[in-house]
Amino acid sequence: MSRRYDSRTTIFSPEGRLYQVEYALEAISHAGTALGILAQDGIVLAAERKVTSKLLEQDTSAEKLYILNDNMICAVAGMTADANILINFARQAAQRYLLIYNEDIPCEQLVRRLSDLKQGYTQRGGLRPFGVSFIYAGWDPQLNFQLYQSNPSGNYGGWKATSVGANNASAQSLLKQDYKEDCNLKEACGLAVKVLSKTMDSTKLSSEKIEFATIGRNKNGKIYHHLWGADEIDALLKEHGLAKPEDTEMTE
Amino acid sequence: MEVLLGITGKDFTIVAASKAAMRGATILKASDDKTRALNSTSLMAFSGEAGDTVQFAEYIQANIQLYSMRNSMELSPTATANFVRGELARALRSRRPYTVNLILGGYDKIADKPTLYWIDYLASLAPVPYAAHGYAQYYCLSILDKHHHPDIDFEQGMKLLRMCTQELKRRLPIDFKGVVVKVITKDGIREQEYEDDVKVAIP
Amino acid sequence: MASGYDRALSVFSPDGHVFQVEYALEAVKRGTCAVAVKGSDVVVLGCEKRSAMKLQDTRITPSKICLVDTHVALAFAGLNADARILVDKARLEAQSHRLTVEDPVSIEYITKYVAGVQQRYTQSGGVRPFGISTLIVGFDPNDKTPRLYQTEPSGIYSAWKANAIGRSSKTVREFLERNHKDNMDREETIKLTVKSLLEVVQTGAKNIEIAIMAPGKLIEMLPVEDIEKYVESINTEKQEEAASRRPGRTPGTGTAAILTRGPGEGTGS
Repeated sequence: MSRRYDSRTTIFSPEGRLYQVEYALEAISHAGTALGILAQDGIVLAAERKVTSKLLEQDTSAEKLYILNDNMICAVAGMTADANILINFARQAAQRYLLIYNEDIPCEQLVRRLSDLKQGYTQRGGLRPFGVSFIYAGWDPQLNFQLYQSNPSGNYGGWKATSVGANNASAQSLLKQDYKEDCNLKEACGLAVKVLSKTMDSTKLSSEKIEFATIGRNKNGKIYHHLWGADEIDALLKEHGLAKPEDTEMTE
Repeated sequence: MEVLLGITGKDFTIVAASKAAMRGATILKASDDKTRALNSTSLMAFSGEAGDTVQFAEYIQANIQLYSMRNSMELSPTATANFVRGELARALRSRRPYTVNLILGGYDKIADKPTLYWIDYLASLAPVPYAAHGYAQYYCLSILDKHHHPDIDFEQGMKLLRMCTQELKRRLPIDFKGVVVKVITKDGIREQEYEDDVKVAIP
Repeated sequence: MASGYDRALSVFSPDGHVFQVEYALEAVKRGTCAVAVKGSDVVVLGCEKRSAMKLQDTRITPSKICLVDTHVALAFAGLNADARILVDKARLEAQSHRLTVEDPVSIEYITKYVAGVQQRYTQSGGVRPFGISTLIVGFDPNDKTPRLYQTEPSGIYSAWKANAIGRSSKTVREFLERNHKDNMDREETIKLTVKSLLEVVQTGAKNIEIAIMAPGKLIEMLPVEDIEKYVESINTEKQEEAASRRPGRTPGTGTAAILTRGPGEGTGS
């Protein structure tokens, strides 16, 4: 019955719902999990990469984690092609702000720019909404480290720890259980791999299947962001006993 | 003969602007305020082509206010200065450029430091410890060069301003009708009482 | 069957409905409740706030009450993202108005503008209406009369003494109709706002947001502890009232007297 309100552009159903948006959210709930955890001294983002073929080049750049500007990174869940458009837009918006004000764009403003664009596609133009959710990790001098999430409806919110994509309900409850307000970045990384290991289909984690990125502050107070290399991820997995070769024991 | 002056100190920025509104050699008004508060931490003083100045200042003011409303936070003085410079540069390359010279006084709440920017009608921007526009440059910069120090307190800052206005009064051929004085600190912007009719000894 | 007349974005059906606008009102009803009450010299906005989940960062979660200009506040019910866009347009207009006529906007002017934008989205090609209703409050420049307006997805706007939008707004509006008095002072106005919200918010102060506007002053967001105090005093009042009515009446009518809600109405959908 609801078919009449969900085929073309985004319009209200008789109950006042936007089916296109809800379907976009549905699409995202099948995508690989991505999560973000806010720590005292930084933020970690982690994402599950779905390896479809052995022949795919593995060493090329990240496919789920992106750098937006000097003090912001993001993780995506959903349609990667849509994400590329939005990331391009975000990068341009960030640079435009830098050009006008000679200051980095405050995190919330960049999140809002993107969310406003997403909202536009739910209201006008006759195009479908973007099928991606984002988790953003950033820093600005007003509010220090911040973690945001946005979805296809154009809503966004600030979080201490959050997840999107497949199994995000269980990831969320794991985060709720184990998140500590005063954790540091290292502990947050530990929590991130632990949650991923439990929500991913395969019990064997490896650097091929996950991506990792952190944003933090280095010794002389400057903000850095870092997309982890395969060896760093493997080292982290090993440290937490989740690496592939020793998959028999799942200790913490 | 318009006078714009700016002086920073330990925890304040003083901005002074002459009160005479002039057209050619005629004084039309002796209580003109050539400043506009942009938000709680930035103040702009302007001189130049009569219509351009207020038009440009209020355009900037509206945009900075809009930023505050949209983002529930105020633009920092540094960002404000760059925005103003950008707008001037854009106008400069348009059909109708603005002929305005600006001094932008502010207080950076995050760095906890006073700020002062000098901007001219060709859209050059410079952060400075003290600044002057117009003829005031010829008379005051040398005084400020000699006496200014970054750590001066407010009283010393006002004393320095007094030295500058005295010298201007002594040397300028046309009366600029005294100055409006505004002070920017971490608590905001306030107008400072300033005695204009102090007798000046002329050699 | 309205076959087809609710699909093309906004056209009349043979019986004279513009369905998309009506459905947009449904989206409003799905949003959290917002209330506004005028007193003699203040106007108070109250909002139902979804409880923050444990992992939410409360510093940076957007609020349902926003400032359009320093003297105009707006609360909305409906789709959050739509509201952001509409509020942004209103903010731009408010500053543009200041620039062109050197005066802040009057509350009616900005209401008319917001309603105008909402109307345009019911009659333009390829767009759906805004899924929000708004309550716009504040004081005109150099004026001490409190103002309160409501706008709807259709673009209708109206002035009110007190009103509610969003989830269970009917219940709240009926409560306000019964309890609103003219010339209430600040305390009474805040109390009535909190009390009316308690009709639909069961969980108390932590799910309520209150903003107060007074002439010539900046908006004041009431701290949670203060809301807590109002909630407590309302609850004790209700209990006292209940206790004083119980003796001398049959139990059945006694309970009916305590209920502030009309018969046959639920506590919210």
